[in-house]
Amino acid sequence: MKSIKIKVSNREHELLIEEHETLAHVLRERIGLTGTKIGCEQGNCGACTVLLNSEPVLSCITPAMRCNKSEITTIEGVAENGELHLLQKKFVEKGAIQCGFCTPGMVMTSLDFVKKNPNASIDEIKDALSGNLCRCTGYKKIIEAVAETIYGENISGNGQENKSSDGKVIGTNQPYIEAEKKVQGKAEYADDIRLKNVLHCSFLRSSYPHAVIEHIDTTAASELEGVKYILTGHELPEKFGVLPISQDETALAIDKVRYIGEVVAAVAAETEEIAKAACKLIKVKYKPLRPFFEIDESLNDIGFDEKIHEHVKFNNNVHKKAELRFGNQAEGFHHSSYRSKMNFEFDGVTHAFTEPHAATANWDENGLTIITATQVPHYLHRALAKVLKLPLSRVRVIKSYVGGGFGGKSDPFPHEIIVSYLAMKTGRPVKIRFSREEVFISNHGRHPTKMTMELGTDTKGNFQVLDADISIDGGAYGSFGVVTSYYNGVLLQAPYKIENFGFKTYRVYTNKPQCGAMRGHGAVNSRFAMETLIDDLAHQMKTDPCELRLKNFMPFNTLTVGQYRITSNGSRESLMKVMEQSQWENRHGKLPFGHGLGVGCGFFISGSALPIIRNELPQSVVHLKVDFDGRVLITSGASDIGQGSDTMLAMIVAEVLGISMDKIFVLAADTLLTPVDLGSYSSRVTFMAGNAAKMAAENLKKEIISAVAVGKKVSADELNFSDDRIFTNDKTTDITWNEAIDIVTANRGAISVSGKYISPKLGGDFKGAGAGLSPSYSFGAVVAEVKVDTETGAVKVLNIWGAHDCGKAINPLAVEGQLEGSWHMGMGQAMSEQVKYFNGLLLNSNFLDYKIPTSLDTPPIHTNIIETADPEGPFGAKECGEGALHPVIPAIANAIFNAVGVRITKLPISAEDVLEKIKSSEIAYTAQETL
Amino acid sequence: MIAEKKYLQPASIQEALLMADRSENDFRFLAGGTDVMVNRWQGNETSSCLIDLSGIDELKQVTKQDNYLSIGSLVKLDELKYHSSIVSEFPALIEAADAVGSPLIRKSATLGGNILCENRCIYYNQSEWWRQAVGFCLKCEGNICIATGSKKNCYSEFVSDTAPALICMDALLEVVDKEGQRRIKLEEIFTGDGVRPRNLDKTAVIRSVLLPLHQEFRSVFNKLRQRQSLDFTSLTTAVSVDRNGKLKIVLGGVDPKPVVVEGTNRSDRKELIRLALKKSRAIDNEMFSRNYRREMIGVFLTRSFQRLLD
Repeated sequence: MKSIKIKVSNREHELLIEEHETLAHVLRERIGLTGTKIGCEQGNCGACTVLLNSEPVLSCITPAMRCNKSEITTIEGVAENGELHLLQKKFVEKGAIQCGFCTPGMVMTSLDFVKKNPNASIDEIKDALSGNLCRCTGYKKIIEAVAETIYGENISGNGQENKSSDGKVIGTNQPYIEAEKKVQGKAEYADDIRLKNVLHCSFLRSSYPHAVIEHIDTTAASELEGVKYILTGHELPEKFGVLPISQDETALAIDKVRYIGEVVAAVAAETEEIAKAACKLIKVKYKPLRPFFEIDESLNDIGFDEKIHEHVKFNNNVHKKAELRFGNQAEGFHHSSYRSKMNFEFDGVTHAFTEPHAATANWDENGLTIITATQVPHYLHRALAKVLKLPLSRVRVIKSYVGGGFGGKSDPFPHEIIVSYLAMKTGRPVKIRFSREEVFISNHGRHPTKMTMELGTDTKGNFQVLDADISIDGGAYGSFGVVTSYYNGVLLQAPYKIENFGFKTYRVYTNKPQCGAMRGHGAVNSRFAMETLIDDLAHQMKTDPCELRLKNFMPFNTLTVGQYRITSNGSRESLMKVMEQSQWENRHGKLPFGHGLGVGCGFFISGSALPIIRNELPQSVVHLKVDFDGRVLITSGASDIGQGSDTMLAMIVAEVLGISMDKIFVLAADTLLTPVDLGSYSSRVTFMAGNAAKMAAENLKKEIISAVAVGKKVSADELNFSDDRIFTNDKTTDITWNEAIDIVTANRGAISVSGKYISPKLGGDFKGAGAGLSPSYSFGAVVAEVKVDTETGAVKVLNIWGAHDCGKAINPLAVEGQLEGSWHMGMGQAMSEQVKYFNGLLLNSNFLDYKIPTSLDTPPIHTNIIETADPEGPFGAKECGEGALHPVIPAIANAIFNAVGVRITKLPISAEDVLEKIKSSEIAYTAQETL
Repeated sequence: MIAEKKYLQPASIQEALLMADRSENDFRFLAGGTDVMVNRWQGNETSSCLIDLSGIDELKQVTKQDNYLSIGSLVKLDELKYHSSIVSEFPALIEAADAVGSPLIRKSATLGGNILCENRCIYYNQSEWWRQAVGFCLKCEGNICIATGSKKNCYSEFVSDTAPALICMDALLEVVDKEGQRRIKLEEIFTGDGVRPRNLDKTAVIRSVLLPLHQEFRSVFNKLRQRQSLDFTSLTTAVSVDRNGKLKIVLGGVDPKPVVVEGTNRSDRKELIRLALKKSRAIDNEMFSRNYRREMIGVFLTRSFQRLLD
């Protein structure tokens, strides 16, 4: 140990540190400044950026000893005397903060940049930020925030106004209610939680893809000083899984391992270092079994080898077969004058949120409490009770701030169960945090997929038939896989009218980390295929691909072939918007070789109409409480994971009650204090929790109206709520909100009301009819512009014009953020992201080799919100967080076809593949010419 | 259980050499740290003593000596562009330095550190757990190359971006070790052996990089990578022509060492490319395939020739 003196944000510290400690570790663990985030520990993501003697450094790879006698500024030191720095204000105001995990690093990098570059151009800003990865925003709003700090003017035309002229809140740009906390590094994420006397947990993970565990020897590990508990699989035999129909996972491997990285043993110890050292001392004897890595291996009969799961019906590794057929496909093909059929291949992609998983569990007289980075506290609550054999009443799940989810924090996870169990066993709080590699190993990302799809149309361009044969690689366990299997097919039944439609999906188990739900769940890859086939048909028919789409769009208020109830439908408006903005008619097909435009459309659910666990509970309940102080407390189980749901709830309540946002406080996602909400998945929160909040606010309004009507002797019909006042039409009675609350609470005290949302009964009565049912659906379109280097095959995306029908943008600032983030993430899957394996071992489990687009790789994104006023959504709103992702990928691929005549059927798009195809099409072209 | 960890901060080169001498080979010099610290985190670099050179001011100077521009090895990549002599005479070096990592990395990473950047391979730059699971490879004391199955040769890639630019402009290194100070051609420190890619003594310190002045170099630098920031190179090409028409091609990312081909502005271009390809021993050990990277050598060089000579 060595002593160092450092001055951190103007405060002197004299510390004893390990000589090889990093600055990030010293700041977080020794000084307790957790605003500096650790996202990768390898200098790739930039979340840990701080200023060292006024120069930005990556504190995760900066030796702390080097900082002796230095001055360090962390995010905690940027605001002065409680006053945000202009840059921070701009981050808040422009909506540059979503999950907020990259924010501290992003602010520190920008802070240095704006100081040194008073005349920077937008391109220079993009360059400067290209070492800080953001997974939520698509960088657009961050760049705007930095630019406005430099230029001192409003460059985007929004973010200024947070109240409309008529006193409405809905439809105005509201920075997240917690944004100031996030921009100062004060928001506590799961790894920032500091409980006293905590034990640290570390895992021994399998190094075999498929093997029998013959013996585990923990002797040496248990003798290590500081080790408190060593856990192996047999202690937790109860199976779990997010879906009741595929409970196939245990907290730790029991008797056999099914993927490299599966947890085999867990150690709770006094420090993280001891826990890790103990894991290395555990000896496991494995007997290897034949591993299955590829879809085809798992689809076929496997002979005398051992299946991955005993419960699989046949002698293969097929987890689920989903098949539905509507109309008469044979007849559809018969009527098809033009047909397009292609084979597609998709690599897996993963969520790559910037915050690694972390959790702390504690056991006391109230039972279990776990604070964790989860999207779905409710299902975790149930899973913990089941596996730990606890009554539901003895489990409490608290969501901390979550640094991004995108579907990847929606399953109950082994680590959450394990630390809970260890807390019960040791009587002390137990904490775990994942390395970036462990995050990648946990995966639950988008399934690697192979599919064959065929689409037919008559001579007039009316789609006649669609057929899809799909197989998806689920990895070792079930996760959301059964739903994914259906979504791959069923979500193709709109936005185009197709009467003859069928699909078959196989989901197979393989010896790799499991796949699950990721943004745009299940439908992204098949949407890519569909939109590619449409592009090909348009090409065959020599018609404009936008025209062909416009011709086939469904109207609003209709039923699809599988009996989805379509209400609002902004397909047409979305497509027309991006056509106009991209100058489609003047430019498509008229650009020089190598330069092209492409289009794609999308369709997604706005909340699953059926709960995962069938029961009679509402899907969302919101409570409101108001007391003498006039503040309205919203309690909701909805999980804000950076998408802005807390703000959305507050806005809805403010709107209904005509009060300002500062009279509202949101308490969310704590299963002891908040009513059940099914969580943040399937793009359900605004629609369902929003409706519940609206109903609750209306119930509160009724209470106030009846009390004020009596108290003030006025007609109940005449009372208006606006601008923090309650008044009659003629204003003879005109009282403040607090005066009204005095009247309501007199002789009664605080009032609590409740609102709920239950989806209407929807859909057909056939098996599988429930998949993809939603009370509403979202629609959208994207036009992408690309340039292709015809000698290298490299593709550069020049522009993305996107439009998305979100019904009504309750908070346009947040909606834009969701759309831009979706398009950015889709672009990542199109251009550079892939989960790669080598013999079942994840090859690219870091942010260097798993290639999220940086700010420099992100083209200008042109955002358009389309509003169609959904009849059942709160104030007409529906989803905007997932559906927008679908159209961008095929739009890019179709633009490549437009540019160089190369059809993309494999993701991610590789320069090598494009080049190969350019060359072979040139050969074909030359051959044709010589003929 | 673990050897005592030490962190030493010498104030002069002599002190650094002395410290190195006393550390019995269980040490590592640290410049910016952007490479070494990551390798340590992954368990590929385990020395118990780190000798941090960043306090040695004499390593941070940019001066003119005789007919050379001397750039201290600890000048940060981000700072090179603030020296007008580099900008005017050796712009390719700025271009190369700007291609390294991300802007944040370049604010810590140094020129000397980048030259000595450890060779990379997707089967090597992994955590200790990962490498153990797959079986340790030649580069981490195992007995097989995971990428090729070879028991002899390691083909980890040479990935420095600045070194190819420097070599094509005939850079020398001023090296100080126990024996004293000497000048060597930069390309001569690279062995071509992926396990031990450099022949410099571990205790040697690069004092500075020397670039010959008044050669009127015209150079073209290119880097193949998937993203425009963060990524290591998959193919670097640096081509220069000096005032006498001497042409020098240097490739990175396609061999355990920089591939150097020399010619003149009148050489047969196809022949130069053929030679470069012949010398490049790229294998499939990264995200771009071997075949593609080899194909791009021809494309990048052809484009460079066009820019320099046509």
